[in-house]
Amino acid sequence: MSDNHKVIGRSVPRIDGPEKVTGAAKYTGDLKFPNMLYGKILTSPHAHARIVSIDTSEAERLPGVKAVITHKDVPALKYGLSPARWDESIFCSDKVRFVGDKVAAVACLDEDTCYKALKLIKVEYEVLPAVLDFLHAMDEGQPQVHEEYARNINTEIHQEFGDVEKALAEAHHVRTDTFVGQRTYQSPIEPHSAISMWDKEKLTIYSSTQSPHYFQHYIAREFDMPMGDVRIIKPYLGGGFGGKLEPTGLEFAGAVLAKLTGRPVRTFYDRAEMFAHNRGRHAQYMEITTGVDKNGKILAAKANFIMDGGAYTSLGIASAYYAGALLPLTYEFDNYQFDMFRVYTNLPACGAQRGHGAPQPKYAFESHLDNVAADLGIDPMDIRIINARRPNTVTPNDFRVNSCKIKECLERVRVMSGWDEKKKNLPLGRGIGVATGSFVTGAGYPIYRTDLPHAAAFIKVCEDGTAATLYTGSVDIGQGSDTVLCQMAAEAMGYRYEQMKIVAADTEITPLDFGAYASRQTYMSGAAVKQAGEEVKRQVLEMASAMLGLPADDLECADGRIFSKSRDGKSLSFEEVARKHFVLRGPLLGRGSYTPPKLGGNFKGAAVGTSPAYSFGAQVGEVAIDEETGEISVVGIWDVHDCGKVINPRLLHGQVHGALYMGMGEAVWEEVIFDDKGRIKNPELANYRLLTAVDMPPITSEVVDSYEPTGPWGVKEVGEGATNPTLGMFSNAIFDAMGVRVNSLPLSYEKVWRALKEKREREEYARRQASARREEAQLETGAATLYANPI
Amino acid sequence: MYVPDFEYHAPKSVAEACTLLAELGERATVLAGGTDVLHKMKVGKLAPEHLVSLKNLDELREIREEPGRVVIGALASHNQIYTSQLLQRRYLSIPMAAHTMASNQICNLGTVGGNIVNGVPSADLPPILIALNASIHLQSANGDRSMPLEDFFHGAAQTRIEPGEILTEISIPDQATTGSTYLKFGLRRSGALAVAAAAVSVQVAGDTLYGVRIVLASAAPTVLRVAGAERSLVGRRIDDQLLEEAGYLAEQASSPRDSIRGSAEYRRNLVGVLTKRALRKAIDEGHA
Amino acid sequence: MAQEITGKDGVKRYLITLNVNGDAHSVLVKGNAILTNVLREQLDLTGTKKGCELGDCGSCTVLLDGRPVDSCLVLAVEADGREITTIEGVAANGRLDAIQESMINHAAVQCGYCTPGMVLSAKALLTRNPNPSEQEVREAISGNLCRCTGYVHIVEAVMATAQGRVTPDDH
Repeated sequence: MSDNHKVIGRSVPRIDGPEKVTGAAKYTGDLKFPNMLYGKILTSPHAHARIVSIDTSEAERLPGVKAVITHKDVPALKYGLSPARWDESIFCSDKVRFVGDKVAAVACLDEDTCYKALKLIKVEYEVLPAVLDFLHAMDEGQPQVHEEYARNINTEIHQEFGDVEKALAEAHHVRTDTFVGQRTYQSPIEPHSAISMWDKEKLTIYSSTQSPHYFQHYIAREFDMPMGDVRIIKPYLGGGFGGKLEPTGLEFAGAVLAKLTGRPVRTFYDRAEMFAHNRGRHAQYMEITTGVDKNGKILAAKANFIMDGGAYTSLGIASAYYAGALLPLTYEFDNYQFDMFRVYTNLPACGAQRGHGAPQPKYAFESHLDNVAADLGIDPMDIRIINARRPNTVTPNDFRVNSCKIKECLERVRVMSGWDEKKKNLPLGRGIGVATGSFVTGAGYPIYRTDLPHAAAFIKVCEDGTAATLYTGSVDIGQGSDTVLCQMAAEAMGYRYEQMKIVAADTEITPLDFGAYASRQTYMSGAAVKQAGEEVKRQVLEMASAMLGLPADDLECADGRIFSKSRDGKSLSFEEVARKHFVLRGPLLGRGSYTPPKLGGNFKGAAVGTSPAYSFGAQVGEVAIDEETGEISVVGIWDVHDCGKVINPRLLHGQVHGALYMGMGEAVWEEVIFDDKGRIKNPELANYRLLTAVDMPPITSEVVDSYEPTGPWGVKEVGEGATNPTLGMFSNAIFDAMGVRVNSLPLSYEKVWRALKEKREREEYARRQASARREEAQLETGAATLYANPI
Repeated sequence: MYVPDFEYHAPKSVAEACTLLAELGERATVLAGGTDVLHKMKVGKLAPEHLVSLKNLDELREIREEPGRVVIGALASHNQIYTSQLLQRRYLSIPMAAHTMASNQICNLGTVGGNIVNGVPSADLPPILIALNASIHLQSANGDRSMPLEDFFHGAAQTRIEPGEILTEISIPDQATTGSTYLKFGLRRSGALAVAAAAVSVQVAGDTLYGVRIVLASAAPTVLRVAGAERSLVGRRIDDQLLEEAGYLAEQASSPRDSIRGSAEYRRNLVGVLTKRALRKAIDEGHA
Repeated sequence: MAQEITGKDGVKRYLITLNVNGDAHSVLVKGNAILTNVLREQLDLTGTKKGCELGDCGSCTVLLDGRPVDSCLVLAVEADGREITTIEGVAANGRLDAIQESMINHAAVQCGYCTPGMVLSAKALLTRNPNPSEQEVREAISGNLCRCTGYVHIVEAVMATAQGRVTPDDH
């Protein structure tokens, strides 16, 4: 592989940097249109209730109110993201299923009037018993969240690969552990908003979306419109992390309000409404069994999970499959069983949050693996290296892994973190833990069934060659895809990054791309961009060939210059060649698209988790624990990643930092807490405990030299995978520090304190028992002596 | 989110404010820094007919030294307190407590007066002020009165302020204490409410404790002084065992409830640990 | 005191002067108008963001008489006559401030939603304390939540600005 790249591999500054640091960048909620109204949604105050009546008359009479809508005014067609279960309505008609379920909406002249109008809508409810504990949702006699799904089962999965029972029977050591995860929420700093407007039969929506294409598809479906009449535009987006992947009531209700009033309508969530809409991480119950040989080599694993889906499916079927599908990636074993129930509850729906489905199972598996290592007296680092997946292997569930340097990641992080020294020398209260992770580089199949390519791009070179514009449907949600894709375009064209412009994420202007999810864009959008760039370059070289009178295959184009490979001195600027091309041959354009190859096996659910490439990573963290309070201080974190060729090192490490930050929060601090009525008790960023700058430890992030043969220039993902090891890594570091295992997330100070207290009490009890036994024994000995030696 | 409608007033003097408040009675809420009042209004916990802003009363922002006492104007912001050289020199524990309160942005807005009048048991400044024997001054159209800050709080988030009254200043008497500190346990290192907190002041001579005040926050329905723990220390020779026992007595006197920040049991344990550690810190490090 | 004007709707409004980035703006606001909203809706200064509206996230940070505050917890009438700096006032005549340059070059910006508030908090710190320690930097921005960066590059960018190096070595 040649590495004389001019543009990729460099930490060029972000293309959107100046706009973002000056406040010029416009996000959806910053946009204004003439005659624009403000819209808000009325939501249910009850977790489960029958709607008896809705009276909107008083709200309609309030000055400034332009429209009030309920289920009577909108299509009844149910929607969702996972096609197998469309179960959500724009507005509830019969009953509400969680606190926050959508009931009505208003459009008003200003924001204040919206809030006042919502208070004037009178909804009479008949409160029903609610299902709030997902572990009992399937029990006999529980209320039904949806009548059509018996025992509240939303998704049921039973997969077996190899012969698990036989392998367990032959294993040297078999162990089972159970763990419970918590609900977390993506908490992007930008709240969701959407501005909907109609021009005759055409609907345009500016939205804070991670996927204009899926929004376009699902909104067109809901309103029974041709896709071409729905235009979705993503302005700047203030973070998504999975939470902005699906259309919400903001788009659906907003479109109807805009239609009724004939005016643009800006709908938005405030922070508490975001928490209620949710679609964050599922809480999971996870039982893991593995059998190992005497060296700690894993022979078989069983995963038995239950997932709290909340009131609707969202993308939850995929989450459920992902939870098990990604477990056999970092370690090699042939026998694997995965059983899962995703259940309905009367709580907000869960969906895809960074690391989709995988971080909690990984926490369970990595904690469990440390327990196994402790049982066998093996160093946690060694047991991982023994089991580390090798490149060019296939997982038991039929995922082909090409490049894989998990072993090198482990070996490097061992050195970087000072693992061996610390393992020997850290005092009680200080601990070090390791965990691994892996993630898909884009999903092998789209969310809905289609044979469309996953990504497409075109490049238009300015008529005088001084700029080139990349048109891509891909979505920069903050991760920097606009920058990275411009680097890739420039590299492929032989052009300069500094002269690139980008138009992205507008379904009417930019070509199809599925958007920002499943960590897909650098690879998949990048593949399309590379192809488009190469098409431009080919035309430039052909034109230059005519201009210079040299064969095209003797010419090369790099960094904006076309030169002869064989003779010195013959060169042209990209600009003059491009201009000539425009004059003689017409617009200089490049096109590209990407469709993944057919991937995966033939069993039910085989598609979920397939990907053309997988990233790998290993993390070590060191913690210090205050024994009296359970407070956890993070001393340092070291991350080593195998993410293929790196396009922009600074942006890449920024992804690792951010993923780690989110994982760290989920490990110890973050949790959505409900009261006994299903209401969120902490729908604010402070009480949800988003970590601040003073909470963050020093972080060291490195990559191993890696090349993915299937990816453009050898790239793989990084944005989501780095969240996967973190929860387990914390669990293991705490275990190492204190010798106690906390079996539920978050690993809060209080839980650590309680585990230590219980350990002390157990030890105290054991000491008392031992001394009691000693006394008894002495008494008996004494008595025996007495009898043996009568005075 | 939105703030419900109200009538806005910005009197020019304390006297004018008092007249206005007397007239409006319970229909009015006083607005100082706004970090509590506007927050409550936005989340629907407060909807006064009138809001009386104290923004023009600059005389209440002053922090000054007088014979026999240090005076903090009720409108002094947390950051004003944090950066006050006078307070840093005399009672560093007060600036340090103000610093633990919240983010920089909130500390630039929020006032000591607001923190006191808000009345919540998790407020960060009342414990250290009570530990330093502070008194407060209240003014109204009917005259003014002073009282020990300790007596100001009663019941669940209740204070003894009357409608029409304005808290104007906090006064810390000159004293024989040799050390004081405020230790707060939060679940983040910034912008976190106390899960539990303890403020202490001590008077140490040689290796003996002669005077001590222990005040707990987030440990009971209201800020709590623990006389039993204090008594156990007075006149005693300082050692770890003694401080541990005082912590235990404070723990016994506390009555935290289960909350999203921690169970009652955990919070009681924290009270003991924080009390012990605060005592040790004040003994060893003075006003810190 | 701001001039009171009662409209035909019976609602009392206040004619106030907001001195924003050196410009004096006369605006008519209701008593309950929040400064964030007035800056965004009436003056079109949308660089001041709305993230939580409760003083938790710091996206709405502006400098009020030079000090960072959460503008979501300030009534516009309370800011009458005071000096306000928003993110739009940090770059002068199209030239970025050193902290802005540094934020870009260190890749301290991701989604950018916290960035305006972050820049203002950092700017206020560096004005008051040109040589902060890392801990002081972290404290100064601890009221600005960032969900993207783990603060790593942000802290680097602020420290580097203080040391006069707005471009990192790996750039």
